[in-house]
Amino acid sequence: MPALPAPGAGTVSAPLLQIEDLHVWFDLDGRGELHAVQGVNLSLEPGERLGLVGESGCGKTTTALAIMGLLPSSASASGRILLEGQDILAGGEEAMRPHRWVDIAIVFQGAMNALNPVRTVGQQIVEALELHNRASGAAARRASGELLESVGIPAGRAARYPHELSGGMRQRSAIAMALACDPKVLIADEPTTALDVMVQAQILELLDGLCKEYGLALILVTHDLPVVSQLCNRCAVMYAGEIVERGPLEAIYHTPGHPYSRMLFAASPDLADIDEPVLSIAGAPPRLDRPIEGCPFRPRCDSAFDACGVRPRLEQLAEDHDAACHLNSRVPA
Amino acid sequence: MRGTDYVLKRVFFAIVTVWVALTINFVLFRLAPGTAVTNLSRVPHATQQLRHALEVEFGLDKSKWQQYVIYLKQLAHGNLGISYANQQPVSTNLRIALINTLPMVTVGTAFAIVFGIFTGVIAAWRRRTKTEGLSVSTALAFYAMPTQWLGLMLIIIFAGIFPTAGMTNEFLLNPPFWTHARDLASHMFLPALTLGLTLYGEYTLIVRSAMLETLGEDYILTARAKGLKPRTIVRKHALRNAMLPITTLIALSLGYIVAGAILIESVFSWPGIGRAVYEAVLQRDYPMLQGAFLVLTLSVIFFNLVADLVYFRLDPRITE
Amino acid sequence: MSEATFFVEAPAEGGTSRRGLVLRTLRNQRVALGAALFLAACVLTAILAPWIAPYPLHEQVGPVFGGLSWQHPLGLDDGGIDMVTLLIWGMRVSLVVGFAATFVSMVIGGAVGVVAGYFGGHTDNVLMRITDYFLVIPDVPLMIVVAAIWGPSLFHIIIVIGILLWTSTARVIRAQVKSVRERVYVKRARALGAGHARIVLRHVLPQVAPLLVASTVLTIAVAIFDETALAFLGLSDPSTISLGSIMEHAFERAAISTGAWWAIVPPGVLVTLLILACSLIGGALEDALNPRLRVAHLSARTFRLRPLVGRGKDAL
Repeated sequence: MPALPAPGAGTVSAPLLQIEDLHVWFDLDGRGELHAVQGVNLSLEPGERLGLVGESGCGKTTTALAIMGLLPSSASASGRILLEGQDILAGGEEAMRPHRWVDIAIVFQGAMNALNPVRTVGQQIVEALELHNRASGAAARRASGELLESVGIPAGRAARYPHELSGGMRQRSAIAMALACDPKVLIADEPTTALDVMVQAQILELLDGLCKEYGLALILVTHDLPVVSQLCNRCAVMYAGEIVERGPLEAIYHTPGHPYSRMLFAASPDLADIDEPVLSIAGAPPRLDRPIEGCPFRPRCDSAFDACGVRPRLEQLAEDHDAACHLNSRVPA
Repeated sequence: MRGTDYVLKRVFFAIVTVWVALTINFVLFRLAPGTAVTNLSRVPHATQQLRHALEVEFGLDKSKWQQYVIYLKQLAHGNLGISYANQQPVSTNLRIALINTLPMVTVGTAFAIVFGIFTGVIAAWRRRTKTEGLSVSTALAFYAMPTQWLGLMLIIIFAGIFPTAGMTNEFLLNPPFWTHARDLASHMFLPALTLGLTLYGEYTLIVRSAMLETLGEDYILTARAKGLKPRTIVRKHALRNAMLPITTLIALSLGYIVAGAILIESVFSWPGIGRAVYEAVLQRDYPMLQGAFLVLTLSVIFFNLVADLVYFRLDPRITE
Repeated sequence: MSEATFFVEAPAEGGTSRRGLVLRTLRNQRVALGAALFLAACVLTAILAPWIAPYPLHEQVGPVFGGLSWQHPLGLDDGGIDMVTLLIWGMRVSLVVGFAATFVSMVIGGAVGVVAGYFGGHTDNVLMRITDYFLVIPDVPLMIVVAAIWGPSLFHIIIVIGILLWTSTARVIRAQVKSVRERVYVKRARALGAGHARIVLRHVLPQVAPLLVASTVLTIAVAIFDETALAFLGLSDPSTISLGSIMEHAFERAAISTGAWWAIVPPGVLVTLLILACSLIGGALEDALNPRLRVAHLSARTFRLRPLVGRGKDAL
């Protein structure tokens, strides 16, 4: 597991990214609202690697999209997203646009149509370069070739269309494109899901190397714990739209502060193994279109007790390790 | 050249379809009850001798199979028979009719395509707003209106402002070019507008649907994440991709427009191929009817092929 | 993106039963509901024509092309017959032709679709080829030709329209049957030795029926349109009165130059409304059966901001 940055190295600066009390609702067209993100607080230091973990539907992808303001028109949001101290959420879509790609960039699941099928890979990278005035014309084409080389793709492949590349190469191209404008933060949303096992390992190695080389901060959104363990030093576990535990990965693994985290980690037999973990926790997450009474995990929890009728809040367990569970404050009888 | 075999395959299929169409044409008109002899002779109570003489003359005494072969041979020479009505070769009549129809149909279609794309894109872009509701309702309304009724409505509205019948003013003898052009244009206005509005409704719905589909694709989100302005994304990413299904559907519809023009040309007495079909029906002019029907079917096949090839050209994903 | 899929898939009241599906569709799309009510009202009016029609159908009750008045809110036609009466009776014929022709096309299209989708392979190829050829024939000219050759009668019109409209139904049904065939319970039934007919009847058809209904409603719209076109060209049954033939009579008897717009406008409006109603209902049904799960990643409106909630501000 990658080590935490040594103390004293780039220290008392303000966090690079700070999310305060982020809420996101989706309008359900006459059927009410879906409260997808329910008060998320996160912070990210320069060069830090944070894993955002949870089942599908828990709000992790929505949170990631919200950071870049990529929410659909049916969404509404509240809270603060501070990029180097400046609230970029306050101005909505318009205010966020200048920060996209130059400060924060994102890589999506490569198996999907994340790349425009009717334009070549090179053209799409050049588009990013020219848009943000990094280069233009022949210089841009050269730069795009270099970017491809830096992710392990021969520069000549720039003239290929996305469908002509393998899944792994498509994902690398997307990463190359994301790095085109030297962002400070890279968000990777399920970057290795739907890829071959062997290719997964390569992509992870690539991300690891790139983040080190360019000092990128990384937010890795995934449901796949072994992936998190390989790339991240800190982790935030999300359930039903909120963060139920966060802290150093080691700490959560050894001393989980929330039954959900405990069950998640237990469900993946060997963290050094790159097999897909099967999240076989019985039951299903609660519906987010209704207010939740008490702890959202209660129906599936093996240690619920009467205090769980009240919704728990994130509380500090140890230095830099918080969890939202009444078990932590239970006074033994 | 990429995918030469794909192109060849499509062309071959089109040729086969043409042959099938020719055969259906033959079967339809030759095997129809009581058509040939009674109508050829135009003498209801012809004597047996007269009938027989006519049969020989028109080759109807031969077997169906032989007739079929003769039919194909004649077609190969461009011989579509002689019209009963004006004793002219059918091919000549059709050529003139087609020349009359094409400008009117082209203007109407161009109008429909331009405005249809414009409205369709806006409707998709302004999803869930009043603008979208209005555009879609208007498009649906025009799409649902019977073409001939729309023509009649326009006549009621514009009577006195634009001519409502015929292609030219017959009282203008040898007019100078510009007068003639203006005369033609004013006569063409209402029929072309009718066609344009009918098609506009259909095209708006097609474009809107294609754009909505495209705007839900993930690369649009990537484009937005890159920091591109919305207009740029719509232009360079969404529209570019949506043009694939749009051009295909439009090209396909082109094949049927000439047929749809039948109603418009009947309402406005426009001397085009649609009206030729109609009059051939009224006069039981079977050679004309058969010839016109053939031309219309061929136009559908042709535009289907065009749609195939255009799609092939636009979409780099098709290699085979 | 996972959240978006999640909330669209959240089960709604009414469950996934077929009836619940229809009710949910119509409730969610109020326009479609209005359309359904309108269509029902028209059908009812058509059925009750002999009792509802205010005036006799074949008797002159006023001057030729008489204008609007309290007794005749839509005026009189070229024979002095009350327009409202004409419309009611005309709608009857138009609806009958529309439904009958659609029934024919539904039977043919459904059969072709089921056979092609179920048996696949060679049968499928042949049937699809035939469908392609049918598609290539332009319908209005063919209808004209057939009506001209075989003579205008309501029966011929119905058959002709039906024979031309089955192709889209066939395609849609075929796709659905193919996907149903791959489902586990069908395979199981085959393994247990159930005959083809039994499987089709008990397993495939129920799954395919809703889509068939949606396709049928859409076809009715086209059938009514086609009948109007044929009537306008004088190819409909001269002994019957349909909405299309009302317009044709008016046109032939120079209603426009006489200024008698009421002989032309109302029948066309009624046809347009009928076609619109069927299109909306069919479209709504199709949407409900194949819901578009996509979120628009881009639109004119952007996401909105709300004031701070202030809950759980335990940032450390």
